[in-house]
Amino acid sequence: MNKELEHSFVSNLEQNQNIVHKICRIYTSDPDSHNDLFQEITIQLWKAYPKFRGDSKFSTWMYRVALNTAITLYRKSKRSIKTTDLDTYGFKVKAEEYDDKVEQQLRLMYEAVKQLNDIEKALVFLYLEDRPYYEIADTMGISEVNARVKMNRVKTKLKKILNP
Amino acid sequence: MDELELLKKDWQKQKDVFPQLSYNEIYQMILKKSSSIVRWIFIISVLEFILWTSLDIIFRLKGVHTKIEEMDMEIFSLISTIMYYGIFMYFIIRFYLNYKKIKVTDSAKVLMKNIINTRKTVRQYIFVNISLFVVMFIATMIYIFTFTDGLVNDTSATQPPLWVVLVSTVIVILIFVGLIALFYRLIYGILTRRLKMNYKELEKLEI
Repeated sequence: MNKELEHSFVSNLEQNQNIVHKICRIYTSDPDSHNDLFQEITIQLWKAYPKFRGDSKFSTWMYRVALNTAITLYRKSKRSIKTTDLDTYGFKVKAEEYDDKVEQQLRLMYEAVKQLNDIEKALVFLYLEDRPYYEIADTMGISEVNARVKMNRVKTKLKKILNP
Repeated sequence: MDELELLKKDWQKQKDVFPQLSYNEIYQMILKKSSSIVRWIFIISVLEFILWTSLDIIFRLKGVHTKIEEMDMEIFSLISTIMYYGIFMYFIIRFYLNYKKIKVTDSAKVLMKNIINTRKTVRQYIFVNISLFVVMFIATMIYIFTFTDGLVNDTSATQPPLWVVLVSTVIVILIFVGLIALFYRLIYGILTRRLKMNYKELEKLEI
Protein backbone atom coordinates (compact mmCIF):
# COMPACT_ATOMS: atom_id res chain seq x y z
CA MET A 1 0.00 0.00 0.00
CA ASN A 2 0.97 3.53 -0.68
CA LYS A 3 2.89 4.95 2.30
CA GLU A 4 1.60 8.46 1.70
CA LEU A 5 -1.97 7.26 1.74
CA GLU A 6 -1.34 5.35 4.96
CA HIS A 7 0.16 8.40 6.57
CA SER A 8 -2.63 10.76 5.58
CA PHE A 9 -5.26 8.25 6.72
CA VAL A 10 -3.72 7.51 10.11
CA SER A 11 -3.14 11.21 10.83
CA ASN A 12 -6.70 12.07 9.83
CA LEU A 13 -8.13 9.32 11.99
CA GLU A 14 -5.87 10.19 14.90
CA GLN A 15 -7.24 13.73 14.87
CA ASN A 16 -10.86 12.62 14.48
CA GLN A 17 -10.79 9.52 16.65
CA ASN A 18 -13.32 10.92 19.12
CA ILE A 19 -16.09 10.40 16.56
CA VAL A 20 -15.31 6.68 16.52
CA HIS A 21 -14.99 6.55 20.31
CA LYS A 22 -18.40 8.17 20.69
CA ILE A 23 -20.02 5.64 18.37
CA CYS A 24 -18.37 2.83 20.31
CA ARG A 25 -19.68 4.38 23.49
CA ILE A 26 -23.26 4.27 22.24
CA TYR A 27 -23.07 0.79 20.75
CA THR A 28 -20.96 -1.14 23.26
CA SER A 29 -21.06 -1.74 26.98
CA ASP A 30 -17.56 -2.81 27.98
CA PRO A 31 -13.98 -1.85 27.13
CA ASP A 32 -13.27 -5.04 25.16
CA SER A 33 -16.21 -4.56 22.83
CA HIS A 34 -15.37 -0.87 22.58
CA ASN A 35 -11.87 -1.69 21.35
CA ASP A 36 -13.17 -4.43 19.11
CA LEU A 37 -15.66 -2.14 17.40
CA PHE A 38 -13.04 0.62 17.18
CA GLN A 39 -10.74 -1.84 15.42
CA GLU A 40 -13.40 -2.93 12.92
CA ILE A 41 -14.42 0.66 12.17
CA THR A 42 -10.76 1.55 11.57
CA ILE A 43 -10.38 -1.33 9.11
CA GLN A 44 -13.55 -0.37 7.26
CA LEU A 45 -12.51 3.29 7.11
CA TRP A 46 -9.10 2.28 5.79
CA LYS A 47 -10.58 -0.03 3.16
CA ALA A 48 -12.85 2.75 1.92
CA TYR A 49 -10.21 5.49 2.19
CA PRO A 50 -8.69 5.21 -1.32
CA LYS A 51 -12.11 6.20 -2.68
CA PHE A 52 -12.45 9.16 -0.33
CA ARG A 53 -12.13 12.08 -2.70
CA GLY A 54 -12.28 14.90 -0.24
CA ASP A 55 -15.46 16.39 -1.69
CA SER A 56 -16.94 16.09 1.78
CA LYS A 57 -15.19 16.65 5.07
CA PHE A 58 -13.25 13.70 6.44
CA SER A 59 -15.42 13.77 9.57
CA THR A 60 -18.69 13.71 7.59
CA TRP A 61 -17.45 10.75 5.59
CA MET A 62 -16.40 9.06 8.83
CA TYR A 63 -19.89 9.31 10.35
CA ARG A 64 -21.29 7.25 7.52
CA VAL A 65 -18.66 4.51 7.38
CA ALA A 66 -18.39 4.23 11.17
CA LEU A 67 -22.15 4.06 11.71
CA ASN A 68 -22.56 1.52 8.91
CA THR A 69 -19.94 -0.63 10.58
CA ALA A 70 -21.58 -0.35 13.99
CA ILE A 71 -25.12 -1.03 12.74
CA THR A 72 -24.54 -3.51 9.95
CA LEU A 73 -21.08 -4.95 9.62
CA TYR A 74 -19.94 -5.47 13.20
CA ARG A 75 -20.70 -8.97 14.30
CA LYS A 76 -19.70 -9.61 17.89
CA SER A 77 -22.49 -10.94 20.06
CA LYS A 78 -20.94 -9.58 23.25
CA ARG A 79 -22.35 -6.23 22.31
CA SER A 80 -25.92 -7.38 22.68
CA ILE A 81 -25.49 -8.01 26.39
CA LYS A 82 -27.53 -5.35 28.05
CA THR A 83 -26.04 -3.68 31.04
CA THR A 84 -27.41 -0.99 33.21
CA ASP A 85 -24.02 -0.07 34.57
CA LEU A 86 -23.11 2.06 31.63
CA ASP A 87 -20.33 4.27 32.71
CA THR A 88 -18.29 1.55 34.28
CA TYR A 89 -15.47 1.67 31.83
CA GLY A 90 -13.70 4.90 32.29
CA PHE A 91 -16.04 7.33 30.61
CA LYS A 92 -17.50 8.70 33.76
CA VAL A 93 -19.13 12.07 33.63
CA LYS A 94 -16.78 14.40 35.37
CA ALA A 95 -18.41 14.89 38.73
CA GLU A 96 -16.84 18.18 39.60
CA GLU A 97 -18.40 19.85 36.58
CA TYR A 98 -21.97 19.17 37.57
CA ASP A 99 -24.05 19.28 40.62
CA ASP A 100 -25.49 15.98 41.72
CA LYS A 101 -28.89 16.47 40.19
CA VAL A 102 -27.58 17.21 36.72
CA GLU A 103 -25.17 14.33 36.94
CA GLN A 104 -27.92 11.96 37.93
CA GLN A 105 -30.10 13.20 35.07
CA LEU A 106 -27.30 12.67 32.57
CA ARG A 107 -26.59 9.20 33.81
CA LEU A 108 -30.25 8.26 33.38
CA MET A 109 -30.22 9.78 29.90
CA TYR A 110 -27.24 7.66 28.85
CA GLU A 111 -28.96 4.59 30.24
CA ALA A 112 -32.12 5.42 28.30
CA VAL A 113 -30.20 5.86 25.04
CA LYS A 114 -28.63 2.44 25.55
CA GLN A 115 -32.09 0.89 25.56
CA LEU A 116 -32.90 2.12 22.05
CA ASN A 117 -32.53 -0.11 19.01
CA ASP A 118 -29.61 0.19 16.57
CA ILE A 119 -31.36 2.54 14.17
CA GLU A 120 -32.68 4.80 16.92
CA LYS A 121 -29.21 4.96 18.46
CA ALA A 122 -27.80 6.08 15.11
CA LEU A 123 -30.37 8.88 14.88
CA VAL A 124 -29.70 10.00 18.44
CA PHE A 125 -25.96 9.88 17.81
CA LEU A 126 -26.20 12.10 14.72
CA TYR A 127 -28.59 14.41 16.56
CA LEU A 128 -26.21 14.73 19.51
CA GLU A 129 -23.41 15.45 17.06
CA ASP A 130 -25.56 18.31 15.78
CA ARG A 131 -25.69 17.03 12.21
CA PRO A 132 -28.31 18.67 9.98
CA TYR A 133 -31.41 16.62 9.17
CA TYR A 134 -30.61 16.35 5.47
CA GLU A 135 -27.31 14.71 6.40
CA ILE A 136 -28.96 12.39 8.93
CA ALA A 137 -31.48 11.37 6.25
CA ASP A 138 -28.73 10.82 3.69
CA THR A 139 -26.62 8.73 6.05
CA MET A 140 -29.52 6.47 6.97
CA GLY A 141 -30.99 6.29 3.46
CA ILE A 142 -34.40 7.70 4.40
CA SER A 143 -36.17 10.93 3.50
CA GLU A 144 -35.61 14.08 5.53
CA VAL A 145 -39.25 14.18 6.59
CA ASN A 146 -39.05 10.63 7.87
CA ALA A 147 -35.82 11.39 9.69
CA ARG A 148 -37.57 14.23 11.55
CA VAL A 149 -40.64 12.13 12.28
CA LYS A 150 -38.52 9.27 13.57
CA MET A 151 -36.40 11.59 15.69
CA ASN A 152 -39.53 12.97 17.33
CA ARG A 153 -40.69 9.43 18.04
CA VAL A 154 -37.31 8.61 19.56
CA LYS A 155 -37.60 11.67 21.80
CA THR A 156 -41.01 10.47 22.97
CA LYS A 157 -39.62 6.99 23.53
CA LEU A 158 -36.76 8.39 25.62
CA LYS A 159 -39.21 10.40 27.65
CA LYS A 160 -41.22 7.25 28.33
CA ILE A 161 -38.13 5.33 29.41
CA LEU A 162 -37.17 8.15 31.75
CA ASN A 163 -40.66 8.64 33.20
CA PRO A 164 -42.34 5.26 33.10
CA MET B 1 -36.99 17.91 25.38
CA ASP B 2 -34.83 19.36 28.15
CA GLU B 3 -32.99 16.18 29.02
CA LEU B 4 -31.89 15.53 25.43
CA GLU B 5 -30.61 19.11 25.12
CA LEU B 6 -28.73 18.64 28.36
CA LEU B 7 -27.27 15.42 27.01
CA LYS B 8 -26.31 17.17 23.78
CA LYS B 9 -24.33 19.78 25.66
CA ASP B 10 -22.57 17.16 27.71
CA TRP B 11 -22.02 15.00 24.64
CA GLN B 12 -20.21 17.71 22.76
CA LYS B 13 -18.01 18.46 25.74
CA GLN B 14 -16.66 14.92 26.04
CA LYS B 15 -13.29 15.47 24.41
CA ASP B 16 -10.93 14.21 27.05
CA VAL B 17 -13.00 11.34 28.39
CA PHE B 18 -11.71 8.80 25.90
CA PRO B 19 -8.22 7.33 26.16
CA GLN B 20 -6.59 8.67 22.99
CA LEU B 21 -4.93 6.22 20.63
CA SER B 22 -1.51 7.10 19.29
CA TYR B 23 -0.54 7.26 15.61
CA ASN B 24 1.24 3.95 15.98
CA GLU B 25 -1.68 2.18 17.63
CA ILE B 26 -4.00 3.24 14.81
CA TYR B 27 -1.39 2.19 12.25
CA GLN B 28 -1.26 -1.29 13.81
CA MET B 29 -5.04 -1.51 13.51
CA ILE B 30 -5.11 -1.02 9.74
CA LEU B 31 -2.82 -4.01 9.31
CA LYS B 32 -5.35 -6.37 10.88
CA LYS B 33 -8.03 -8.33 9.07
CA SER B 34 -11.70 -7.44 9.19
CA SER B 35 -14.14 -9.75 10.96
CA SER B 36 -17.22 -8.09 9.51
CA ILE B 37 -20.42 -9.90 8.62
CA VAL B 38 -19.75 -9.28 4.91
CA ARG B 39 -16.47 -11.16 5.16
CA TRP B 40 -18.21 -14.07 6.86
CA ILE B 41 -21.03 -14.13 4.36
CA PHE B 42 -18.48 -14.16 1.55
CA ILE B 43 -16.48 -17.04 3.05
CA ILE B 44 -19.57 -19.13 3.83
CA SER B 45 -21.10 -18.47 0.40
CA VAL B 46 -17.95 -19.54 -1.42
CA LEU B 47 -17.86 -22.69 0.70
CA GLU B 48 -21.48 -23.40 -0.20
CA PHE B 49 -20.78 -23.04 -3.91
CA ILE B 50 -17.83 -25.42 -3.55
CA LEU B 51 -19.83 -27.92 -1.49
CA TRP B 52 -22.83 -28.08 -3.80
CA THR B 53 -20.71 -28.29 -6.92
CA SER B 54 -18.48 -30.97 -5.49
CA LEU B 55 -21.54 -33.07 -4.69
CA ASP B 56 -22.02 -33.49 -8.42
CA ILE B 57 -18.36 -34.51 -8.82
CA ILE B 58 -18.67 -37.00 -5.95
CA PHE B 59 -21.69 -38.59 -7.64
CA ARG B 60 -19.65 -38.90 -10.81
CA LEU B 61 -16.72 -40.52 -9.02
CA LYS B 62 -19.07 -42.86 -7.21
CA GLY B 63 -20.28 -44.02 -10.57
CA VAL B 64 -23.90 -42.92 -10.34
CA HIS B 65 -23.60 -41.37 -13.79
CA THR B 66 -22.01 -44.49 -15.29
CA LYS B 67 -24.95 -46.47 -14.05
CA ILE B 68 -27.28 -43.99 -15.71
CA GLU B 69 -25.31 -44.32 -18.95
CA GLU B 70 -25.57 -48.07 -18.75
CA MET B 71 -29.30 -47.65 -18.59
CA ASP B 72 -29.35 -45.96 -21.97
CA MET B 73 -29.83 -42.48 -20.57
CA GLU B 74 -26.83 -40.58 -21.98
CA ILE B 75 -28.88 -37.76 -23.48
CA PHE B 76 -30.77 -37.31 -20.28
CA SER B 77 -27.49 -37.16 -18.38
CA LEU B 78 -25.92 -34.72 -20.85
CA ILE B 79 -28.85 -32.30 -20.68
CA SER B 80 -28.81 -32.35 -16.91
CA THR B 81 -25.06 -31.70 -16.80
CA ILE B 82 -25.29 -28.72 -19.15
CA MET B 83 -28.22 -27.37 -17.18
CA TYR B 84 -26.40 -27.86 -13.92
CA TYR B 85 -23.29 -25.94 -14.94
CA GLY B 86 -25.31 -23.25 -16.69
CA ILE B 87 -27.19 -22.63 -13.48
CA PHE B 88 -23.96 -22.67 -11.50
CA MET B 89 -22.34 -20.05 -13.78
CA TYR B 90 -25.43 -17.85 -13.65
CA PHE B 91 -25.52 -17.82 -9.86
CA ILE B 92 -21.80 -17.40 -9.32
CA ILE B 93 -21.76 -14.37 -11.65
CA ARG B 94 -24.80 -12.87 -9.95
CA PHE B 95 -23.25 -13.50 -6.54
CA TYR B 96 -20.03 -11.79 -7.59
CA LEU B 97 -21.84 -8.75 -9.04
CA ASN B 98 -23.99 -8.38 -5.93
CA TYR B 99 -21.00 -8.78 -3.66
CA LYS B 100 -19.14 -6.07 -5.58
CA LYS B 101 -22.05 -3.71 -4.95
CA ILE B 102 -21.59 -3.82 -1.17
CA LYS B 103 -20.00 -0.52 -0.23
CA VAL B 104 -19.58 0.75 3.30
CA THR B 105 -19.87 4.32 1.99
CA ASP B 106 -23.47 3.81 0.86
CA SER B 107 -26.34 4.88 3.06
CA ALA B 108 -27.25 2.43 5.84
CA LYS B 109 -30.34 1.28 3.98
CA VAL B 110 -28.65 0.68 0.62
CA LEU B 111 -25.79 -1.15 2.33
CA MET B 112 -28.19 -3.47 4.15
CA LYS B 113 -30.21 -4.07 0.99
CA ASN B 114 -27.09 -5.03 -0.96
CA ILE B 115 -25.92 -7.47 1.71
CA ILE B 116 -29.37 -9.06 1.86
CA ASN B 117 -29.41 -9.36 -1.96
CA THR B 118 -26.03 -11.07 -1.99
CA ARG B 119 -27.26 -13.57 0.58
CA LYS B 120 -30.45 -14.07 -1.38
CA THR B 121 -28.45 -15.12 -4.46
CA VAL B 122 -26.77 -17.94 -2.56
CA ARG B 123 -30.05 -18.97 -0.97
CA GLN B 124 -31.69 -19.14 -4.39
CA TYR B 125 -28.78 -21.20 -5.70
CA ILE B 126 -29.26 -23.73 -2.94
CA PHE B 127 -33.01 -23.75 -3.40
CA VAL B 128 -32.62 -24.38 -7.14
CA ASN B 129 -30.10 -27.11 -6.38
CA ILE B 130 -32.39 -28.93 -4.00
CA SER B 131 -35.38 -28.61 -6.34
CA LEU B 132 -33.27 -29.81 -9.23
CA PHE B 133 -32.10 -32.75 -7.19
CA VAL B 134 -35.68 -33.70 -6.31
CA VAL B 135 -36.96 -33.17 -9.87
CA MET B 136 -34.09 -35.16 -11.38
CA PHE B 137 -34.66 -37.92 -8.91
CA ILE B 138 -38.34 -38.17 -9.73
CA ALA B 139 -37.65 -37.89 -13.47
CA THR B 140 -35.06 -40.64 -13.29
CA MET B 141 -37.46 -42.88 -11.40
CA ILE B 142 -40.21 -42.31 -13.94
CA TYR B 143 -37.79 -42.85 -16.80
CA ILE B 144 -36.49 -46.08 -15.32
CA PHE B 145 -39.96 -47.45 -14.71
CA THR B 146 -41.32 -46.41 -18.07
CA PHE B 147 -38.58 -46.90 -20.62
CA THR B 148 -35.99 -49.29 -19.24
CA ASP B 149 -36.13 -52.66 -17.70
CA GLY B 150 -33.22 -52.00 -15.36
CA LEU B 151 -35.32 -52.36 -12.25
CA VAL B 152 -37.84 -54.81 -13.56
CA ASN B 153 -35.11 -57.39 -14.09
CA ASP B 154 -34.01 -56.97 -10.51
CA THR B 155 -37.38 -57.71 -9.01
CA SER B 156 -37.43 -61.02 -7.33
CA ALA B 157 -39.40 -62.50 -4.52
CA THR B 158 -36.85 -61.43 -1.91
CA GLN B 159 -37.18 -57.74 -2.81
CA PRO B 160 -39.70 -55.50 -1.01
CA PRO B 161 -42.70 -54.38 -3.06
CA LEU B 162 -42.32 -51.34 -5.29
CA TRP B 163 -44.52 -49.03 -3.24
CA VAL B 164 -42.37 -49.63 -0.15
CA VAL B 165 -39.28 -48.60 -2.11
CA LEU B 166 -41.05 -45.47 -3.41
CA VAL B 167 -42.51 -44.39 -0.08
CA SER B 168 -39.25 -44.88 1.79
CA THR B 169 -37.36 -42.93 -0.90
CA VAL B 170 -39.78 -40.03 -0.60
CA ILE B 171 -39.41 -40.06 3.20
CA VAL B 172 -35.61 -40.05 2.93
CA ILE B 173 -35.78 -37.10 0.50
CA LEU B 174 -38.11 -35.18 2.80
CA ILE B 175 -35.84 -35.72 5.79
CA PHE B 176 -32.83 -34.70 3.74
CA VAL B 177 -34.47 -31.48 2.53
CA GLY B 178 -35.81 -30.75 6.01
CA LEU B 179 -32.38 -31.10 7.59
CA ILE B 180 -30.79 -28.78 5.05
CA ALA B 181 -33.52 -26.19 5.62
CA LEU B 182 -33.03 -26.39 9.38
CA PHE B 183 -29.26 -26.06 9.01
CA TYR B 184 -29.67 -22.91 6.94
CA ARG B 185 -32.17 -21.38 9.28
CA LEU B 186 -29.74 -21.84 12.15
CA ILE B 187 -26.60 -20.60 10.41
CA TYR B 188 -28.09 -17.60 8.66
CA GLY B 189 -30.61 -16.94 11.36
CA ILE B 190 -27.73 -16.22 13.70
CA LEU B 191 -25.68 -14.35 11.12
CA THR B 192 -28.33 -12.11 9.60
CA ARG B 193 -30.98 -11.72 12.27
CA ARG B 194 -29.82 -8.29 13.39
CA LEU B 195 -29.28 -7.14 9.82
CA LYS B 196 -32.81 -8.07 8.83
CA MET B 197 -34.24 -6.50 11.96
CA ASN B 198 -32.48 -3.21 11.28
CA TYR B 199 -33.47 -3.24 7.63
CA LYS B 200 -37.11 -3.76 8.56
CA GLU B 201 -36.86 -0.90 11.03
CA LEU B 202 -35.64 1.42 8.25
CA GLU B 203 -38.28 0.16 5.83
CA LYS B 204 -40.99 0.75 8.38
CA LEU B 205 -40.11 4.44 8.32
CA GLU B 206 -40.95 4.76 4.65
CA ILE B 207 -44.53 3.57 5.00
